Amino acid sequence: MSKTVLSVRDLRVHFSLRGKTLAAVRGAGLDLYENETLAIVGESGSGKSVLTKTLIGMTDKNGSIVGGSIEFDGIRLDQLKEKDWLPIRGKRIAMVFQDPMTALNPLMTVGEQIREMILLHTDLSKEASIEKAKKLMEQVGISADRYGRYPHEFSGGMRQRIVIATAIAADPEVLICDEPTTALDVTLQAQILQLLRRIQRKMGLSVIFITHDLGVVANIADRVAVMYAGEIVETGPTEEVFACPVHPYTRALLRALPQLSTKGEKLFTIPGTPPNLYNEIKGDAFYPRNPKAMEIDRLEEPPVFPVSPDHTAKTWTMHPLSIAKWGDPRAYHTPGLGRAPAVPETYSPCTDEPLLSVKDLSIQFGTGSKAFRAVNGVSFDIYRGETFSLVGESGSGKTTIGRAVMKIIPTAGGEILYKGKHVNRRFSREEIKQYRQQVQMIFQDPMASLNERAKVDYIISEGLYNFKLFKNEDERKAKVSRAMQQVGLLPEFASRFPHEFSGGQRQRLGIARALIMEPEFIIADEPISALDVSIRAQIINLLNELKQEHHLTYLFIAHDLSVVRFISDRIGVIYKGSLVELAPSEELFAHPLHPYTQSLLRAIPMPDPALRLSETSAAYDPSVHDYREDKPAWTEILPGHFVYANKKECDEYRRALQ
Amino acid sequence: MNVCKPNLKAALSESLFERIPFDPEKSELTGYSNYSYWQSTFRTFFKKRSSVLLLTIMCAFVLMSLLYPMICEMIPGWETSYRNPNFAETGSATWNLAPCAEHLFGTDNIGRDMWSRTWYGTRTSLLLGFVIAFFDVTLGTIAGALWGYVRRIDRFMTELYNIVTNIPQTVYLVLFTYILRPSFWTIVLAMCLTGWLSIARFVRNRVVAIRENEYNIASQCLGTPLFRILIKNIVPYIVSIIIMEVALTIPYSIGSEVFLSYINLGLPLDVVSLGNLVSVGKNSFEVYPFQLIYPTIILSFVTVSFYIVGNRFADASDPRNHI
Repeated sequence: MSKTVLSVRDLRVHFSLRGKTLAAVRGAGLDLYENETLAIVGESGSGKSVLTKTLIGMTDKNGSIVGGSIEFDGIRLDQLKEKDWLPIRGKRIAMVFQDPMTALNPLMTVGEQIREMILLHTDLSKEASIEKAKKLMEQVGISADRYGRYPHEFSGGMRQRIVIATAIAADPEVLICDEPTTALDVTLQAQILQLLRRIQRKMGLSVIFITHDLGVVANIADRVAVMYAGEIVETGPTEEVFACPVHPYTRALLRALPQLSTKGEKLFTIPGTPPNLYNEIKGDAFYPRNPKAMEIDRLEEPPVFPVSPDHTAKTWTMHPLSIAKWGDPRAYHTPGLGRAPAVPETYSPCTDEPLLSVKDLSIQFGTGSKAFRAVNGVSFDIYRGETFSLVGESGSGKTTIGRAVMKIIPTAGGEILYKGKHVNRRFSREEIKQYRQQVQMIFQDPMASLNERAKVDYIISEGLYNFKLFKNEDERKAKVSRAMQQVGLLPEFASRFPHEFSGGQRQRLGIARALIMEPEFIIADEPISALDVSIRAQIINLLNELKQEHHLTYLFIAHDLSVVRFISDRIGVIYKGSLVELAPSEELFAHPLHPYTQSLLRAIPMPDPALRLSETSAAYDPSVHDYREDKPAWTEILPGHFVYANKKECDEYRRALQ
Repeated sequence: MNVCKPNLKAALSESLFERIPFDPEKSELTGYSNYSYWQSTFRTFFKKRSSVLLLTIMCAFVLMSLLYPMICEMIPGWETSYRNPNFAETGSATWNLAPCAEHLFGTDNIGRDMWSRTWYGTRTSLLLGFVIAFFDVTLGTIAGALWGYVRRIDRFMTELYNIVTNIPQTVYLVLFTYILRPSFWTIVLAMCLTGWLSIARFVRNRVVAIRENEYNIASQCLGTPLFRILIKNIVPYIVSIIIMEVALTIPYSIGSEVFLSYINLGLPLDVVSLGNLVSVGKNSFEVYPFQLIYPTIILSFVTVSFYIVGNRFADASDPRNHI
């Protein structure tokens, strides 16, 4: 076994917040070995960010270490005073933060920012430090000529590279990355992951990588530590933890992933919501959500059991008595790993007549010289009863299309037809009333999409009030409680305010609000991307059930192709306001034709250590197309498979398909 | 790692490893945040001792100015004694008395009791402040909410604001009270005519910040009419601003009345107000300084406490200060 660099024992961090104590880290223990990448994975509120901030002595003002120890190279980090941190923080333990947009000083050139870090921690001369800064820029894949540029001249992915360069400028031993790719698009994420892996190997760094995304974990980590309710519940080599998770939480988390599940079947869900750390937690923190919990889980906190030499789990299922009674958890194997490649399917919609049809749609923001085309000549049809997904990166115009269909923003050209009737024109009162009842929207962020100052009762019945869809108060109340039951919430909750609900419950409220209008068509704008992993499966299942029950049609807007694959019948890929490819979902995965679709597919981190991203995956470069003479068009290559290409490319694609 | 202790194994009985029934309600139980906006606002506000003290002073002054005239009129005989602010005993013996047990603030140049005049004056000034604040803030909030939410009128309102606020308010005040007959409502009109605009501007800036929130778009998708969006989605988020604006407009209005009375354009002299008391007091300041000093002390306390309490409340209502 290699040398331990950093070791955390029974660490406890408490915060005092509005007169209450929040136990953010409750006895976490982990070891970081030399020259490895350790991923800490956990949901929001699991304490993973607090844990790592504590590791570099940056706990927020109102937080304090109340127990345990952190040892780094013989130094007790938990007992250091602020001035003693100077030779360690940034020099020996460096950190990369989540948001590259705010991590750089906008008034300083990027080269100077890297050099500043070098000067702070070494005593190189001016020339030597400039030389080193330039070398670092090359190392993270940015040309050294851009030394004198300012951060605003770089894109998000480039800025994250610069942040990484500043972090490694002082040759640290430990690099802590706090969700470094969460704010980035999937193709950029793949590049940053590769870069981090390369740097880690080259410099022999020990990396702690914090993330909530199991796909990222499978792709970067040598070992993984799973965090739940302020504790490390399971640690072990990535392959082993993914294939044979022992803790019920890890197991459930992996089983609930749509990427590893079979399409058409109901997703495995983890019931309930993560615990509130203001409350005292007794026994195993996960037991209220574990249908297979045992009596002892309720009473006693489990100790850490060894599973294999380098794999430990904090669960009673590893106790000899439990093994004797319920079997050895080590015999388990996660289903769905090592998934077979996609089989092209011939999907055909149930009807020929489209429910919604978008023809050559263009949307423009601003006027005159400031005008910006957000959507440019997009056409697609959605048939009754299907789930159609629009997939693209941030800024691709997918949400804009959804809002244009909702008549929230005006269109600049083209047509939107719903049941054959024009939508993008002035509606009469009666038409608006009908349209708002038939077409509804579900939003991305359940925290932002509910009015905090209104009671649930009002939020759900808002649509009813607007169009007087009830005869009397009793009927309205009955409708509200029926809608709440449909989404799995108790009708008694109607008198509460939104802040009393968790993220998943709030998303259910958002769905109930749309559902009460009895719509036929629902636009779901990234309804799961802001939710915790353990909650996503619940919402996906709910959406699928409601689709069956109410014969709904969905327009699903998303940025994550791997999740979309599980739920959609057909997928349209959108790039910078133009649709580049559209195909039935499995067909798209089996035969991606457009280079952009291909790069997107290559960049998806699958939650399966056997399917690591290839080292060579490159970002999409629009200059590969030569559209100067041969103009591209929206072409149907196979029945139902469309691609935006010119004649020459179409011929190539056809050849490739045969 | 602290691996399972051996003695634990012996202590555990097999029955502890039975499955327990799953309780779906319990699994959902603990997920929500216990944060409540108003509770946190008040807790933050009351955490500072000085805020509580100033609020007490503020309430005491308001109560005193309400109660004193009321008691005066209720108790028989008081109305026709020196406790009536306009009652003056004949004879110069009671003129310009220094403060004593019977006349706590002394008497003025025709023998009227300064203590009762001060409280009657405070009542008039506070009433003026409240009325102006009511009209200013009501108008300002409605206009500001529309200005912020409806993009079409933004340009017009901004230009209107620029034109109107480029001329100092003092000019409007002096002009109006000069043209119209000096009276309570003249001052209210002069103050409100331009005062609402700056409040509207302030409200507008906050509305612009919350206009793009997703819950507003959700309301639009549900077909909620503009009026209901403003009432339900916008105004509840600016209540703290409204309260603060009320608290700041009151001392400002009182101050303006004092200023107008000082240059003899304020309320008619037969109305007892803090402005008139100060205005009259300054004439005899060199001989009988208490006639100016006492009303001024009360005036300062009223305006300063309103001002500070308003500011403190604004700070407390900012969620960033809720720790």
